[in-house]
Amino acid sequence: MDTDALPALRLRAVRKRFPGSEADAVQALDLDVPRGSIVSLIGPSGCGKTTTLRMINRLIEPTGGRIELEGTDVSDVPATELRRGIGYVIQQVGLFPHRTIGANIGTVPRALGWAKARIAERTEELSDLVGLERVMLDRYPDELSGGQQQRVGVARALAADPPVLLMDEPFGAVDPIVRTRLQSELLDLQERVKKTIVLVTHDLDEAIRLSDRIALLNVGGVIEQYASPDELLRAPANDFVAEFVGDDRSMRRLTLATVGDLPFERGPVVDVAANDLEAQKIMAAHRSDWVGLTEGETFLGWIDGHELGSGRTLNELPRFMPAAQVTPAQSLRAALEVIMTSRTSVAVINDAGRFRGVVTLEQIRAGLAGDLAEQAA
Amino acid sequence: MSAATVLAPLAQAAVPRDTGVFEFLLDGQRWTGSPGILGDLLDTVLLCAAVIALSIVLAVPLAAYLAHERKAQLASAWVVNIGRAIPTFAIAGLLVPVSLRGGYGFEPWPIFIALTLLTVPPMFLSTYVAVKQVSPGAVDAARAVGYTERDVLTKVELPLAMTVIFTGIRVASVQVVATEPIRAFLGGDGLGRYVRDGLGQRNQNLVIAGAILIALLAGGTGLLFTAIERLVKPVGVRRLGRPKRAGRLQSADPLGLAGEGTEGTAGSADRDPVVAAADRR
Repeated sequence: MDTDALPALRLRAVRKRFPGSEADAVQALDLDVPRGSIVSLIGPSGCGKTTTLRMINRLIEPTGGRIELEGTDVSDVPATELRRGIGYVIQQVGLFPHRTIGANIGTVPRALGWAKARIAERTEELSDLVGLERVMLDRYPDELSGGQQQRVGVARALAADPPVLLMDEPFGAVDPIVRTRLQSELLDLQERVKKTIVLVTHDLDEAIRLSDRIALLNVGGVIEQYASPDELLRAPANDFVAEFVGDDRSMRRLTLATVGDLPFERGPVVDVAANDLEAQKIMAAHRSDWVGLTEGETFLGWIDGHELGSGRTLNELPRFMPAAQVTPAQSLRAALEVIMTSRTSVAVINDAGRFRGVVTLEQIRAGLAGDLAEQAA
Repeated sequence: MSAATVLAPLAQAAVPRDTGVFEFLLDGQRWTGSPGILGDLLDTVLLCAAVIALSIVLAVPLAAYLAHERKAQLASAWVVNIGRAIPTFAIAGLLVPVSLRGGYGFEPWPIFIALTLLTVPPMFLSTYVAVKQVSPGAVDAARAVGYTERDVLTKVELPLAMTVIFTGIRVASVQVVATEPIRAFLGGDGLGRYVRDGLGQRNQNLVIAGAILIALLAGGTGLLFTAIERLVKPVGVRRLGRPKRAGRLQSADPLGLAGEGTEGTAGSADRDPVVAAADRR
């Protein structure tokens, strides 16, 4: 995150009271959204998260306060012009059912008066970007599955390449399997397009998975905590946050941190040329019944400690190649799963064929106790 | 001419009582003569066309606008309910003396106004409901991509409401054509004359012939509006009213290449079947 740069979005004392209402739906909300980051607004219903989102592109006009987009007060820009410069994705997708997929994606470019050829080119580019086959462009929305429709929704929002994308429960209407896949796709997409994304969700796992920062809102648009997912889980600011993130926040953090975030430890491993004594020493040091053999950067396999002392060299002893391997990019949750099913209670870190060390339960526990993000930095 | 019709019984279509219904209808002289069926048909069609055109102009834009703005919801329901309770014949009858006093004669104004009052409420209601029920997601998205309110109405709400609006216009128009013949009892002519004259002359066959003519015109009107609807609707709108996926894909795939299921053709055939299955709604 580039903290030096001006935030792409800056909300200052933004307030909304709906006509006929006794209380503010959102009261004096301050929020900075750093450029190129994904920020989630999450909270119980009635917390004003959707209201806040819709005030950014003025679908709801704030009662007070100031919203700056790239330094410009949004109320200084005509609403229609402002909205053409902000992508918007909603749960109901809201595709125009009487227009083809291609025409749907090209909505904003057409409104901006682009030439036909350029719109066609952009439409194809976008369908590739969101993983939609080009034959779909001539179809109509009701011929597509829910997941495909939501991809079209994202493509439409990105059509004129807006710097900011607003998403209101974008994956709320699709089933869990598709939701997970669309979330991965969004992360992949974000790698390439680097938009500033504000996402409203009621799904904590989704927020944790997608966000760089999470703003947890309480009723009345009060931000209880605005922090990275890991910080939110590790150090809830107050009881409300603690209750919201739940008792299983350590488990949630496991999905968040990767094996690569842990300090690498070589574990009870010796070179294949070592002798029995060296092997026994390292096993004792790790209180392990097993010893691993390496040759250069390759992990050869595990040897049962009871086989030592039989007169054979390490290389001659029977060994087995464990399936219990993880890559540095896998989550700690995945590593935990591997460890649980491993005879040696250890997962070998295999970084594209290179042996990097081992992961143990103890390491994961210690990692969660400390600040994983700091260790990674 | 209108006042004269009533005052001069000679202008009646005098038909011998033993003329059969079809003998009457198939006699070319009856069509081209004066008074003749063609002339009466033209009278009726012109009046109905004027009523329908005026009603569309009065009802559709106003209803569409009010529905878009979500305004006058109660008032609309109220106006429409009052409108439904209007007795067309009584209104026309009451308007006749007013028209005569104003020097406008027996007709066509009283019947014209009464028919318009009959037609506006259903057209208003169908348009209002049609626009209001357009998918909120599409409307929200339209605003969010920077459509002006006018664009939201003309490019999204009206196209999506078009099918229901057209149905309302068609039904109301058939109703106008079916009701217009009361004009013959209010000092006018038109197709209703044969029923009126048949009753006057106690000629049952003439009454039946007149009724058949009116029914045919009403049915024809329905067909005409269906045809107009087809011509006017954009492709994307036209397919909205059709039966869902299965039927459409079959017609799009005359060789049956899509196989057994319909889902496979929705573009997911070449994907992992498990994922595709999950991806489907």
